[in-house]
Amino acid sequence: MLEIRNLVKVYPGPVAALQGVSLEASRGMLGLLGPNGAGKTTLMRIVAGLLEPTSGTVFLNGEDVSTDPRRVRRQLGYLPQHFGFYPHLTGAAMLRFLLVLKGVKAPRGVKRLAAELLERVNLQDAAKRKVGTWSGGMRQRLGIAQALAGNPRIVVVDEPTAGLDPEERLRFYRLLAEVAEDRLVLLSTHIVEDISVLCPRVAILTGGRIVADTTPRGARSRLEGAIFEGAVDKHEMEALADRFEITQAVLIEGRNRVRVHAPDGPPPDGFEPVAPSLEDAYLLLTRNGAARDGERPPETPES
Amino acid sequence: MTSFARWAVVARRELSSALRRPSYWFLFGILVLVAWGFSQGNVTISSGDATAGGERSHITSVFAQSMLQSVLITAMGAWFLAIGAGLVLIRDAEQRVGEVLHSTRLTVREYVWGSFAGAVVAFLVIWSLFLGASMGFNHLLATGADSPQIGPFVPGNYLVPALLLGLPQIVFFAGVPFFLGAWTRRPIVVFAFPVATLLVILGFLISWSPSWLDPAINRALMLADPSGFRWLNETFLKLDRGLDFYNTAPLPPDTGFLLSRIALAGAGLLAVEAAARNTARRLLRGDTDSLVIGFRRGRREAPSPVAQAAPGSSGRTLGELAMRTDPPGFLTAAAAIGRAEVRELTVRAGMYLFVPLILYQSVSQALFALGPFDSPLLLTSGAMAARQFNTLSLLVCVLLLFYTVESLMKERAQRFAEIYRTTPVGTGAMLLGKTAGNVVVAAGILAVALIASGAVITVRQLLGDPVGFELWPFLAAWGGVMLPTFLFWTAFVTAAFALFRNRYAVYGLGLAMLIYTVYRMNVGDALSWVANWIAWNSMIFWSDMGAFSLDGRALLLNRLLYLSLIPLLLALALKWLGRQEFDATRILHRLRPRAVLRSGVRLLPFALAPAALASALFFGSRAGDQGPDAEEARKDYWRRNVATWTDFRMPSVSHVDLDVDLEPSSRAASVSGAYTFVNHRDHPYPELPITAGPWDPIAWTLDGEPYEPEDHAGLFVFTPVAPLAPGGSLTVGFEYELQYPRGLSTRVGGRGQFILDSGVVLTAFAPTFAPVPGYLPGIGVDEDNRYDPREYPDDFFEGETEPALGWGGRPFTTRIRITVPEEYTANSVGRLASEELREGRRTVVWESDHPVRLFNIVAGRYAVKEGRGTAIYHHPEHDYNVEEMSAALDAARVHYSEWFHPFPWELLKLSEFPAYAGYAQGFPTNITFSEGIGFLTKSDPRSHAAFAVVAHEAAHQWWANILTPGRGPGGNMLSEGMSHYATILLHEEVHGDRYRIEFAKRIEDSYGDGRFVNSERSLVKTDGSRRGDNTVIYDKGGWVMWMLQQEMGRENLLAGLRAFIDAYHAGSDSPVIQDMLAVLREFAPDPEAFDAFTAQWFFDVVAPEYRLSGVTKERAGRGWIVRGTVENAGTGRMTIGVAAAANERWSDAGDAGTRTVVSPSYRDARTSVELDAGESAEFEIEADFDPERVLVDPDVLVLQLRREAAVFDFPE
Repeated sequence: MLEIRNLVKVYPGPVAALQGVSLEASRGMLGLLGPNGAGKTTLMRIVAGLLEPTSGTVFLNGEDVSTDPRRVRRQLGYLPQHFGFYPHLTGAAMLRFLLVLKGVKAPRGVKRLAAELLERVNLQDAAKRKVGTWSGGMRQRLGIAQALAGNPRIVVVDEPTAGLDPEERLRFYRLLAEVAEDRLVLLSTHIVEDISVLCPRVAILTGGRIVADTTPRGARSRLEGAIFEGAVDKHEMEALADRFEITQAVLIEGRNRVRVHAPDGPPPDGFEPVAPSLEDAYLLLTRNGAARDGERPPETPES
Repeated sequence: MTSFARWAVVARRELSSALRRPSYWFLFGILVLVAWGFSQGNVTISSGDATAGGERSHITSVFAQSMLQSVLITAMGAWFLAIGAGLVLIRDAEQRVGEVLHSTRLTVREYVWGSFAGAVVAFLVIWSLFLGASMGFNHLLATGADSPQIGPFVPGNYLVPALLLGLPQIVFFAGVPFFLGAWTRRPIVVFAFPVATLLVILGFLISWSPSWLDPAINRALMLADPSGFRWLNETFLKLDRGLDFYNTAPLPPDTGFLLSRIALAGAGLLAVEAAARNTARRLLRGDTDSLVIGFRRGRREAPSPVAQAAPGSSGRTLGELAMRTDPPGFLTAAAAIGRAEVRELTVRAGMYLFVPLILYQSVSQALFALGPFDSPLLLTSGAMAARQFNTLSLLVCVLLLFYTVESLMKERAQRFAEIYRTTPVGTGAMLLGKTAGNVVVAAGILAVALIASGAVITVRQLLGDPVGFELWPFLAAWGGVMLPTFLFWTAFVTAAFALFRNRYAVYGLGLAMLIYTVYRMNVGDALSWVANWIAWNSMIFWSDMGAFSLDGRALLLNRLLYLSLIPLLLALALKWLGRQEFDATRILHRLRPRAVLRSGVRLLPFALAPAALASALFFGSRAGDQGPDAEEARKDYWRRNVATWTDFRMPSVSHVDLDVDLEPSSRAASVSGAYTFVNHRDHPYPELPITAGPWDPIAWTLDGEPYEPEDHAGLFVFTPVAPLAPGGSLTVGFEYELQYPRGLSTRVGGRGQFILDSGVVLTAFAPTFAPVPGYLPGIGVDEDNRYDPREYPDDFFEGETEPALGWGGRPFTTRIRITVPEEYTANSVGRLASEELREGRRTVVWESDHPVRLFNIVAGRYAVKEGRGTAIYHHPEHDYNVEEMSAALDAARVHYSEWFHPFPWELLKLSEFPAYAGYAQGFPTNITFSEGIGFLTKSDPRSHAAFAVVAHEAAHQWWANILTPGRGPGGNMLSEGMSHYATILLHEEVHGDRYRIEFAKRIEDSYGDGRFVNSERSLVKTDGSRRGDNTVIYDKGGWVMWMLQQEMGRENLLAGLRAFIDAYHAGSDSPVIQDMLAVLREFAPDPEAFDAFTAQWFFDVVAPEYRLSGVTKERAGRGWIVRGTVENAGTGRMTIGVAAAANERWSDAGDAGTRTVVSPSYRDARTSVELDAGESAEFEIEADFDPERVLVDPDVLVLQLRREAAVFDFPE
């Protein structure tokens, strides 16, 4: 059970990265969605015991890990946003080294376990090459392997899919979904698709505050009947933006394919109602700073 | 924006960044302290025996500033420049700024040159501030009569050295590391550069200058030395040119040197250009942060298409792996981290740079080690381990500083920190693992150095050296003493890093600590045992006869102290090196007094052991005979007695009876005995003073009755019932126990006398084991109460002169009974009257078979080599030179008896003692010899130390003991100078001209290097009280007698010397030079020429210095005519030979042990000229061969300066 209470983090400057964040989660995958600079990484690093908060507490299974981060390390799988490895070690040696440090064991031994973990992230053919020679995507996968190793009670992953190609992203989704079945996974991202695929619950963070703590379905359902899509010329965009909140605009064959939020009135001419997406909800929430809707997330993830 | 403007922006950015770095603050702090020290006269400049201008030379002179700036930049600046310039591009690469920077209009060249300029200008700013501080301290704060070291303010004196010696070095020491950083992107390679250059410069280019070195090679080394110090030293300083010259003359660089400085700066700039090109190539490849050279490391490879395109895994789940987590134990984690560290360190390029450096250091230690008279040394394993100790300790500490910091920085630099820090491993295990990894690497380096040393010894053994390899000295010195230093140092650096969390701050602090330590141990007062963390110099006094015998206890406590500090330092590191980033707003909370106090209490247990050990060392050394109490007691002795007793002349001792029971294992002795005094003067003695050591209690008797003399702070004054009448006698008895040395020493250092398990050497010069009659004016005198040297009137020697050596009065007889453990042999003066073994103790009685003036005791576990009326007692393993030394002793006894006076004693002994003292002394019949002198030197035709030192010490039997010189100027020359002269003669007699010439050249060079022009006095005025007097007394004294022999003729001089000894050896008037000359004049075939000679060489100071110019040769019929001009650029009027010669003079046949012979192919033709000071003369030599060279004084008959410059080689 993770309990975050009134977490505040102020960097010298001063910059208030977190302004009273509170969250609770026990099992399943909790997505943390927010724009750049929202405070996601700060929150993740505090939960991982790497950063001391200015005030507030983080309890994991009843233990305050913000004052004694040793308590979280035994239970943690962590994948930071930016990371590297010892470049002179081979992938297998690097992972073995981390498995030893984490105390991960398996019936067939650490060496075999490292090989099998590398296979799970599709690095078996690069296992004997030095990590310094790997591409960014390969290193990302090694990072994922080490974060998932050893059945950690809580997995904290910060922007995990950055640098992964679509195939590897799917592979990662599968692994993460498996891990989240019986433990807590805290996933920070600004890629809405990651959340929609994986997370039964999402907290949207902007400006150091949680502006929504909901499920993807709940977020979408609030917009039911209020999202419309149509095409407009480029010169019409400004007038449209004055009248409606534009949630998405994609230029296709010289015309803008636009989704607008029109909760209270008729949609623009030629626009058809469409099913709201999580991205619509995310953009509107981060833009408007809507209050949380009060809907409690389910205790178990929805498949 | 112009190119220049962009360059300037980069340079300004780098300058601003560099000046904010803590490492430059440390440098600035050190330099300000140095400037202050010099201005106060607390720091003096010296290089070996050569000090610029003597004790009162101006520190503001251009020569002093040149020395200062040259050495400071080499020894200190190189490190900071390597950090400042070498890391610039590495830092930018780590911070990933390259691609952004280079996407602008900034060109690579602008970026690289701008960065370099910023780094160099930052150093120049610091250097300018140092020069400004020096000028301010010297000319504003330290002027006036109290600052004799300060001369007039001449800006050029600061700026010329800065431009000539400083700037080229700065550009070079910045440019090359800058390139290395750009090329390798590896900090350790950058740091290796100053290490390598410093080793080469300080360990070789500056210091290696044997007197027999070829001038052409010497010149090449001068130009190759980046510091410029060799050029300065060899050209201006080595041969003292006098105070006036150093204080007022300009510093004129010769063209060759000027070009070498331009080339040095050019090399630095070329390195920067190479860095620019390398960076440009790297950018073209899109490779912004990788290593372009690799040692066992592959180049960056493109991602494997197979790996990228591999199909998904088998679809098995993570659950199938059945993983579980059980956080690793402390040691398991530490071992894993240590292994990873070692694995990384061993593939780093730095290792492969340092290993050759260490090999170089080890090999050079063996190849270039020189002993007395510049003789090559025989390096035993112990001596080799000890000689490398300081450099190796320092080198590995530097390496550990960089490796430890980079190791602690590594996770951050490689962006692995966040994953690493969230593992469940304790921070302690992390630190221990890293520390252990680094120390394992250090131990590996020691192992490599050990293998190299073993290889050197083995190869030398295969080439004929008699010394074999032993492992234990290396294990003891390096494993036992050095390894704890590395453990401590690594822990210290770790704690410093934990505190500062800044690479530059730790480098600055670490380097400052190393520099300060080396400075204190070499220039100022050595650090005490408590502070000597690196155990610097602790191996200097290594003895094969018993390692650690002298200071073993202090060293053990010192090592334990620094080992015990490791847990404390690691505890501090653990406290400071939190894996969680602190919140800035909570820092004040942490600094509350209660929080700080609580932390202190928690750390208290870690501080207990260090505090106890430091206290044991501190109080143990205070209680010893070097401690303040003992020093105060000696001062008290001086204060209470100097006014009363300084000029008191004692009656003679007629007999000494001593019983000394030695227990070397506990440094103890029980002494009892009696001195019989006879009043040989014409006045009664109401009081008799006797100086005793700190032996409490002493049971005194007077004429057999218990007596309590007045104790004047160690001077015991006896007042007989009736004054001791002329011709009367009385006996003073004594009994006491002693320990010497007593307690712990305060700091690393040797001892002149000692009772140690490894050996015993005690003399009656001072009250170390036996009371000394009279007041001893040297006790309790230091810099605070030292008087100016006494001025003697010209006729001071008229009438009866007291002896310079021994106890005064007349010679006396001795009976000395010594008891030692059975395995020891104990020697003293005279002949062995009896020897007895009882209950594991050996008792010997030595009786003088002819009166003596001094006595001594030496004991050890000896093997004996007996000769003809001689014996050599030596450490059983030191038999390498014993045959040669025995032959020398035999020859000395025979020939000196023939030349000077019959040897009056039965046996002439020579005994070895441990190298805790480094001298040799010629007591009557009982010469003592440190193991480092003669026993461990290698015979070479150029320097034949084993023979020379034996010949010199044996000569003291005649020139000190049979003929004891008088106290006062010119007295000691009759002892030391005459012994050198006897050595020249014995060389010629036994080994022929080649050895005589080489020995004469060695002592001539010693005179040239060691004299101080401004303080040098004539031989008859030299009394040993001034700097440089020793070389005048020994080297010039010996040479002048050799020249006098040319003047008088050999047999005339020897006959005169025999007459001189006959006249003085038995009387109570001890002679000085004037007495000798009065006798010799009677034997001079040309008294006027004799007077002219003695006037300039004994009563004046002259030093000829010959120069050849305009030398040509041309065919004349079947022969050749050589013409030229020879000039005496020095002083003195002498007739000098000039020779044209071809081919090598000496045949290689007939080296050690036999007379050398002239090579059959050698040819020469000669002429001679007589030249006064400043005169020159043309010469013409007819030769019936094609001359290859012309040289002045081919037979080495005239003492002169810079003999090597008085040779002209015809071009081939």
